[in-house]
Amino acid sequence: MMASFCHFPASPPHQSLSKLLSPLRRPRPHPFLPNVLCIFNPNRNRIRAGSQFRRLSLSSSSIALPPEELDSSSLGDLTRPDFPILHQEVNGFNLVYLDNAATSQKPTAVLKALNKYYESYNSNVHRAIHSLSAEATDEYEQARTKVAAFINASKPKEIVFTRNATEAINLVAYSWGLSNLRSGDEILLTIAEHHSAIVPWQLVAQKTGASLKFVGLTKEEVPDIEQLKELLSVKTKIVVIHHVSNVLGSALPIEDVVAWSHSVGAKVLVDACQSIPHMVVDVQKLDPDFLVASSHKMCGPTGVGFLYGKSELLSAMPPFLGGGEMIADVFQDYSTFAEPPSRFEAGTPAIGEAIGLGAAIDYLMGIGMQRIHDYEKELANYLYLSLLAIPNVRIYGPAPSETVHRASLCSFNVENIHPTDIATILDKQHGVAIRSGHHCAQPLHRSLGISASARASLYFYNNKKEIDVFIRALKDTIDFFISFHGTEGL
Amino acid sequence: MDHAALAIRLLNAMPNPNSSSPFLSTRCRPSRRPLSLSVRCLQTPNPTPAPAPPPTPGSLLPCSAVAAAAQEAPSANLPRLRLRRLVDEFRSLPEPIDRVKRLLAYGSALRPFPEAARVSSNRVVGCTAQVWITATLDDLGRMRFAADSDSEITKGFCSCLISVLDGALPEEVREVTPEDFGDLDVVGMPGRANSRVNTWHNVLISMQKRTKASIVGGKGRPTR
Repeated sequence: MMASFCHFPASPPHQSLSKLLSPLRRPRPHPFLPNVLCIFNPNRNRIRAGSQFRRLSLSSSSIALPPEELDSSSLGDLTRPDFPILHQEVNGFNLVYLDNAATSQKPTAVLKALNKYYESYNSNVHRAIHSLSAEATDEYEQARTKVAAFINASKPKEIVFTRNATEAINLVAYSWGLSNLRSGDEILLTIAEHHSAIVPWQLVAQKTGASLKFVGLTKEEVPDIEQLKELLSVKTKIVVIHHVSNVLGSALPIEDVVAWSHSVGAKVLVDACQSIPHMVVDVQKLDPDFLVASSHKMCGPTGVGFLYGKSELLSAMPPFLGGGEMIADVFQDYSTFAEPPSRFEAGTPAIGEAIGLGAAIDYLMGIGMQRIHDYEKELANYLYLSLLAIPNVRIYGPAPSETVHRASLCSFNVENIHPTDIATILDKQHGVAIRSGHHCAQPLHRSLGISASARASLYFYNNKKEIDVFIRALKDTIDFFISFHGTEGL
Repeated sequence: MDHAALAIRLLNAMPNPNSSSPFLSTRCRPSRRPLSLSVRCLQTPNPTPAPAPPPTPGSLLPCSAVAAAAQEAPSANLPRLRLRRLVDEFRSLPEPIDRVKRLLAYGSALRPFPEAARVSSNRVVGCTAQVWITATLDDLGRMRFAADSDSEITKGFCSCLISVLDGALPEEVREVTPEDFGDLDVVGMPGRANSRVNTWHNVLISMQKRTKASIVGGKGRPTR
């Protein structure tokens, strides 16, 4: 069977999504599946703001906010009906979900794909000749093909399904790292990496004698790329770097970093967890050696993520985990191993979840990643400037400008109020879900001189009205604590 | 005796006139806030208390009354009684925001934590806020706790836990479960106890581990 790629179901369940499609859309041949057509949405500018902008009286005056009334036809409004979970009350208030950097919500298309798998063709993959197994295997491998196309990998076999991005990084650290790192070698990271990109390399460094080097922040609170260039040397064997920071909201010039790293013979692993769900990521253009991401942050199910690795590198790497599926032959005293990606997928994989990820990619590509990115830039500016207008709020990361585009998230603190207290009141008293804590980035928080921060993170199904609700709720929360402190000191 | 006064009597009914805990609350602290709360003297009154501030209208019970209550304390199931009263106290507040305010009031009533005790060995891991806790076994074989946090709500959690468990016997501390606090129905309560960031759960477990360690650590149960 041949499931179509990045198409809409024969009986479209998503009326709202269909609104996004222009009748002018033109199918184009699928890169791996010549008989399957892609639908791309050419209407990416439809939600752009008009000529009238309103401005907030802020120092970063180069950013303007579009009028709120345009929000009525925003991408957020158009796609919200696809996410049943968003239409509920939490603690007596309409849910405002702003914790998307932790995990995204799932559209009905993904839920249906999961349901269909378990109701219709649940079976193990690559195991049996019966029809259900054949269908499950087809759909599972189709999901791999969809992931490859989504990031423009040259071959589906460059995609390894893992449990999540963390496992993907561990796979590279233990397989490639233990095979290639020696005493005196250096692993170069930024201080803004997620713990999942730091800890595996600490463990491997302890085993190999390699050392970790960290790039700090500039005064604009972005990883210092000039310092990165200076730290690169022939000792550098791998650069482990995020694409978009889950705390700072900054994006790094991965294409340049890869070129500089390759010039000294270093490999590059890109943590794309916060970029792939929100923008076009093209691995052939960026040219990293490895790239990882998680399904659950891009509208897919939990329990599955993926590693992209260049074919020649994956082929030269030893297995990470042993078990079924990853072998060629097993004898009593030794085994031979399958070719990638099977070599790295020991045991029964997360079949339904991978298929669900494929459905999520269909959904995202139906909207168009550039369109999602454009809309989120607008939301990002609106969120940043709205937060900045609140007294005593400190936002971390770079200020947006004509040249600096923040991701649609803000980590912040309010003077004299702990972020967990803010998040608690926002949830309990306003139904607004944000994150508080160190966001798995303790070294970064230490570098910023804090132990925790609050974070509001958006996705394309959010809209400006929700940001307004969040801002009002935050002001109310701040007033609540100020009032409490004020009366306490009476 | 009204409900709040009864609650405070039980909260403070501690059979420990000779505590030597360095972190023990040593004075009753009448709140100066207009919030009329039943938390003013969360821990065992010190037999040689610091001079108490003058009574204010917000103070529900004079310290002398608390001291008297201490003499009447039941000898068994003290944490259970205190917990029941704590639950009743929070249940009497139908509005969630009022329960949050009460929690904050508990946090405010927590005795200042010694700066020297803010060390990594006293950190409670796993909370989204920083939490420090100390646990010592006093001369009467009862556990003495002190805690602090950079989050006010978390301080409230700690204060409630201490109000229930400070002065309890080690076995009494260890038999309390996070679910026992579920009826408080206040933010971050059990029901979500399995979360890694559930402060109630993490602080209680930390108190219990430290209780066990304080016994295993060579002191054992003192002879009475």
